[in-house]
Amino acid sequence: MHRRLGVSVVLAGLMAIALCSVSTDVAGAAGSVIQGTVKATGLPSSADAVVYLQQVSGSFPAPAKPANIDQRSMQFNPHVLPVVVGTTVQFLNSDPTAHNVFSPDYEKYNLGTWPQGQTKDHTFAKCAKVPCAYVQLCRVHPEMEGYVVVLQNPFYAVTGADGHYKIDNVPPGTYSVGVWHAKLKSAPKPVTVDGTKPAVVDFVLGR
Amino acid sequence: MIAQRYSAQRVVRTAVIGVALLAIASTAHAVPAFARKYQTSCQTCHIVFPKLNAFGEAFRLRGYRMPGETEEMVKQPAVSLGSPAYKKLWPQAVWPGEISSAVPLAVNVKMAEVNTSSVNDDGSVSRISNDLQFPQEVNIFGAGTLGEHVSYFTEVTFSANADGSVAVDLEHAHMGFDSPFGPEDLFHFRIGKFAPNVVDGFQEMWIATDGAIDSLFNYNPIGVNGGTGLGADALSPNSISLPALVNGVEGYGIINHRAMWVAGLANGVMAAPGDTTGRFDGNNAKDVYARFDYKFGGMGLDGDTGGQPIPEKNWHDNSLRVGVFTYRGDASSIPFALETDSGVNVNIEDSHFLRTGFYASVFYQDLNVFGAYLHGTDTLNTTDAATGALLQAIEPAYHAWFTQADYMIYPWLQASGRYETVTPADPAVQSIRIGTLNMSALVRANVKVMVEYQRDLRQGDNHSLNALLRFAF
Repeated sequence: MHRRLGVSVVLAGLMAIALCSVSTDVAGAAGSVIQGTVKATGLPSSADAVVYLQQVSGSFPAPAKPANIDQRSMQFNPHVLPVVVGTTVQFLNSDPTAHNVFSPDYEKYNLGTWPQGQTKDHTFAKCAKVPCAYVQLCRVHPEMEGYVVVLQNPFYAVTGADGHYKIDNVPPGTYSVGVWHAKLKSAPKPVTVDGTKPAVVDFVLGR
Repeated sequence: MIAQRYSAQRVVRTAVIGVALLAIASTAHAVPAFARKYQTSCQTCHIVFPKLNAFGEAFRLRGYRMPGETEEMVKQPAVSLGSPAYKKLWPQAVWPGEISSAVPLAVNVKMAEVNTSSVNDDGSVSRISNDLQFPQEVNIFGAGTLGEHVSYFTEVTFSANADGSVAVDLEHAHMGFDSPFGPEDLFHFRIGKFAPNVVDGFQEMWIATDGAIDSLFNYNPIGVNGGTGLGADALSPNSISLPALVNGVEGYGIINHRAMWVAGLANGVMAAPGDTTGRFDGNNAKDVYARFDYKFGGMGLDGDTGGQPIPEKNWHDNSLRVGVFTYRGDASSIPFALETDSGVNVNIEDSHFLRTGFYASVFYQDLNVFGAYLHGTDTLNTTDAATGALLQAIEPAYHAWFTQADYMIYPWLQASGRYETVTPADPAVQSIRIGTLNMSALVRANVKVMVEYQRDLRQGDNHSLNALLRFAF
């Protein structure tokens, strides 16, 4: 009985600590969020726009694990992949047909053609002026198209079909928010994140 | 001057030819493939199909693209034939394009209940009553765009013959290159078989009446003393009238929303029977044509509204459009066989011919009045068919004009009246005058019922009264 009581007290204490921790995190996140909506004028969907902070002080090492793009059902998935400069992207072919990956942008590369289940890597080692958008093409299937967008920092988000985006954990400060889209464009907008409430930045993209 | 045989009966025969042609099926166009692509009604582009409203005319001129078109407006997504990024790789890769995701086919069907009366050569009158020409004609269309700057339009027509056979005609097949360079809509190019843009607005492809405007498009200039009347379509080789269709290339464009230029190069008259060369053109010379016109008021030719709201009624477009056009043809070395009054077999060649005219169209509220005047000259060289000796060279002239009024009674009901006349070059022949009355009713946006009456205003026994049903899907 005493033992059970002791366990309950310990559990209750842990839950209280956990709740306090969550509460603290939520308060912190609310003040470090940039969110909003991107409207892609004239397009049926506002998906696949990359909203990003153009420059953030500090260094942002590339993740140790590679990011992934899957060639599945004759499509690059995800269609748009933002990465921090230096990131390695691993391209997987999930289709029963051979696929190729190449890009005519910047340093240009052609990873060759490979069969189902195999992968090839490419490291996006540099980007002189963000964003560096590399279109990903397949020589075997010319209609296939994807994008890797290389950025300076990890504070970015990709819009959904409704155009909504949310960038979490942004350090307080004043930034310039940019948006990249494969077909449309918009000028960057300034934003100040003060840590007290989410900052809202909306974009309307045009030709 | 050489006497043409049966000259005493020429007037009568001419009139018979004229009215006989009134019963020939004309082709008019409505392309539901576009309705499917944009998930929109026929009435977005047509007043009473095939007659286009201002928006539809802009859609046509822009290479089957809506004014200000965005991807959002296209409800049937296209199938990519290559990522747009391949443009960066050209010429190391194929330039990207696209095709429609649904087969862009459309069908038009025409039924006709035909009643005609026509005067024969011997003065007797032939009458056809309640001839159920069901169907009279079926048209298969394919039309659309192939990516950013390419468009196409094809039409195959199946016409039912009196003997039960079916005639097949490739009426249209052209590819367009739309705004490939320069300001938008300033340069468009077409290649193939198409209705030249010198005649849009009054060519059968775009008018609401069933009968074509024969005075302009079906004049036959071949005669010992100049043309005697209509019937160019029945000639072999084909027409030397103002061509309703050409095989060739054309450039056109819209300047500052309001002005339009057209310049074209065409094969012209086809090879004569017996020509074994396999050529399409009857000779090595090419015909040329041009047009310039301007639209005052209303929607711009490219669909520009200047920021003004468009009228609630889709046919309202208060405006005046005026233009001039010219067509110069060369039919040298293409013989047209004829027998003179004295029984001599001769060949007549039209070494060069010129058609020049002007066109005007006024829209005011529910009324549209339009018409065209045409002056034609020919250079006819008559040679003895047996010896080849030149018997005569003349340069006859003719003129023709028409005016038509279309009035919208209801959004589904239009009344039309047309008067047309041609004064043939042969001075011994009276002018031809034809009156046409038409009532067109849209039973549905894509189903039309028409009653049309045509009458030879010189000879009352030449007339026709047809009831027609057209539907498009």
